[in-house]
Amino acid sequence: MTSAQGLGGAEQIELPERADAPGAVAPPRGRFGALAWALWLARRLGLAVLTLWLVSILVFVATAALGDPVRAILGRDYAANQARVDQLNGLLNADQPLVQRYLNWLGGLLTGDLGTSLTGLRPVSELIGSSVVNTLGLVLVSAVVMIPVSFGVAMLSANYRRRRPDTVIQTILLGLAGLPEFVVGILLVALLSTSVFHLLPAVTISSPTGHPWDQPRAMVLPVLTLVLAVSPYVARIVRATLLEVLDSDYVELARLKGIPEGVVMRKHALLNAIVPGIQVIALQLAYLAGGIVVVESVFNYPGIGKQLVDAVNAHDVPLVQALSMIIAAVYVVVNLVADLLSILFTPRARTAISS
Amino acid sequence: MTDRASFSRRQLFQLGGLTASAIGASQLLAACGGSDGGSGSAGGVLIHGATGGSTKDTLDPHSPVTAPDIARCCNLYEPLLFWDENYQIAPALAESIEPSADAKTWTVKLRQGVTFHNGKSVTPEDVLFSIKRVADPKAPTSAGVALAPIIDFDGTKKVDASTLTIALKTPYAVLDYLLAEYTFGIIPTDFDIKKPVGTGPFSYQSFTPGKSSTFAKYADYWGDVAKIDQLQIQDFSDANAQINALQAGQVQTVDNLPYNLIDSVKGQGGQVLETQSGAWVPFTMRVDQKPFSDNRVRQAMRLIVDRQQMIDQALSGKGTLGNDLYAPFDDAYAKELPQREQDVEQARSLLKSAGAEGLQVQLFTGDDIGSVAPSAAALFKQQAKQAGVDVRVVKKNPFYGDDYLKYTFAQDFWNTRNYIPQAAVCALKSGTYNETHFDNAKFAGLISSAQAQTDDAKRNSLLQDAQKIEYDEGGYIIWGFRRQVDAVAANVKGVSTSKYLPLGSYRFNKATVS
Repeated sequence: MTSAQGLGGAEQIELPERADAPGAVAPPRGRFGALAWALWLARRLGLAVLTLWLVSILVFVATAALGDPVRAILGRDYAANQARVDQLNGLLNADQPLVQRYLNWLGGLLTGDLGTSLTGLRPVSELIGSSVVNTLGLVLVSAVVMIPVSFGVAMLSANYRRRRPDTVIQTILLGLAGLPEFVVGILLVALLSTSVFHLLPAVTISSPTGHPWDQPRAMVLPVLTLVLAVSPYVARIVRATLLEVLDSDYVELARLKGIPEGVVMRKHALLNAIVPGIQVIALQLAYLAGGIVVVESVFNYPGIGKQLVDAVNAHDVPLVQALSMIIAAVYVVVNLVADLLSILFTPRARTAISS
Repeated sequence: MTDRASFSRRQLFQLGGLTASAIGASQLLAACGGSDGGSGSAGGVLIHGATGGSTKDTLDPHSPVTAPDIARCCNLYEPLLFWDENYQIAPALAESIEPSADAKTWTVKLRQGVTFHNGKSVTPEDVLFSIKRVADPKAPTSAGVALAPIIDFDGTKKVDASTLTIALKTPYAVLDYLLAEYTFGIIPTDFDIKKPVGTGPFSYQSFTPGKSSTFAKYADYWGDVAKIDQLQIQDFSDANAQINALQAGQVQTVDNLPYNLIDSVKGQGGQVLETQSGAWVPFTMRVDQKPFSDNRVRQAMRLIVDRQQMIDQALSGKGTLGNDLYAPFDDAYAKELPQREQDVEQARSLLKSAGAEGLQVQLFTGDDIGSVAPSAAALFKQQAKQAGVDVRVVKKNPFYGDDYLKYTFAQDFWNTRNYIPQAAVCALKSGTYNETHFDNAKFAGLISSAQAQTDDAKRNSLLQDAQKIEYDEGGYIIWGFRRQVDAVAANVKGVSTSKYLPLGSYRFNKATVS
């Protein structure tokens, strides 16, 4: 049972008969319910904005504390090329006090102006736009594959629990969970593109006009690597929850009533095991959206992880700040959505809000 | 005066170091290798897998920063002259460039019928515009750093529709060296970086920094019109991914192949191109500071080095012997000076006579010099032990920080150059990167007379005298020059080697993909 989910298993187990009988729990109705939901959402959104604001202070202070980026960028040219020094200092507004610079930056952030890259001397939004879309695309495709696969494996495993198929699945999952993503990636490349079979492209060759998925075959290996990297966690959490639910009294009762095992699994057990699944999926997706640098390197995938590493190495402060804020925003949004879904799937929490 | 040429190349080398640091992972891959090459690519496109590249990438003809930038420069733009595959001057946009007897006025005859990618003919005005951009006294670009202080813009002018003169304030007999650099591309007077045009074999189509760029065959090219229809240059931040792409048939050429991946590429049917280069990673001793202010100590240190072992271990055997002299491709290179070899006994006795027995020194190194430097430093420590010298290796991060040029004993990196331009930046008092603080009046006199000498034989003799001084008293330990190694897929023909730049100076117009 995941600790990420505040609602304990015991609570859910007391709820089942209402959960599997739709309509038994009154969904929020009427003005009062709607208002309650709006209030709840407003509160959560407020908290999200507050979180992002705190992150923005942290990001700004941390990047400002790294020292003089102009000196780092120009290196030995610093003393000799005053024109470049002035140009870069101008971009950074280095003559203003820190607080003023922060407020300017925050203002720009809110109006969609992410500043100018110190190394590329182009607007940051222009430089990172396609990388952000590429990473989100990769994460989305991976999620679409990963969610049904993890749940399917978990159900299969729970169905055969403590018998041989279950043991085999668990061993494979543990093995995969123990392998770092880049090892999985390198092995897949060697197996499917370079050494054993020549079935799939090994890396992403970016087409300047489009996105990596313009060549769907080139997406297969990165997506497969991410699915293999993330599914074991999700599948194991869901399996554990499923087993707990399957052992509970109400499932026993359902079986005694003569409901077929498949229906018990789908309607009685799965719906109650879904919430911890959502939470762990959210955590994993946020982790992926943060940029999977090693996977991006192995497949030369043009995403934000690689760009962030480049930007840090190059002391490109505006680029680092923008990417950090985007990654933080993805974390916050994904978690917010996960919480919302968790509540919708948990009748007690649902009624607690609307009543 | 700053030398951005060497600075940008130094950054390149740093990039090279970064990719080389991914060696651990690549070895794992190499272990998995062992079947035949990848499938071919579609007809008329060649995709070049370039080492490095980031948001710093630029299409600027005169200030390339990363390795993909160099590849783009070489295919989009062309200088008046060009270094050929043997590092000799060859005509490009100029049919001839002749100096006056005093080496102060140079007459440039332009090739006729050369057009930019937008169809406009190349005129003397375009050349003057390019020279002014490169040698802008306020912000000289890499090829202009040496030219900016000596060029006389008042005397530099158009003569007729195909001729111009370049006037200098002081004699400079090797101006053609500067004009032949790939960073001296000729661009039209209405040049726009957003729609860049040059005279090269490929014209601009698209460019995304840190990712990819595409170029189309220029059908009206004055030289060998490209055989492929399209050239794509794809950035790779990871050597591992770069070689995988080559083996999967997704890219056709790869520059700067890490030495440890040579067998992996060969094993899969790829072609490995290897050639000598003039790039060196010296040990630098400050001649104005103890203990190296005593020439006997410097000579002892030079005798301590086992040069072949350095090449075998630090360069995986891919190198040629150095003799404490740079510019090995220069006609003036002092070949007749005896090859210095390890002689521990003589080193000991020199140290003894200098009163420096049991010498202890700190050797400064850093990863940003390149992956060769730290391993060479560690090896030097071992070799010095035999002569009773205790070397303590200190790794600085960054090496090129505030202490650079102040280290008493350190390392550095230099790319291929001829003697006069190299000495000007590293061995004269005015040199921007004179790490050894070498300051010898006789040497400076020889260099300055050589700069004014238009007769090749006489100039070479002056330069050989100068090299003798460095051989006897200099502060460099130059143990070897690395070899350039690139890789090409099995289905590619027409890509040869060049001592100047990787992949035959990136001349993709001669390449075919089957």
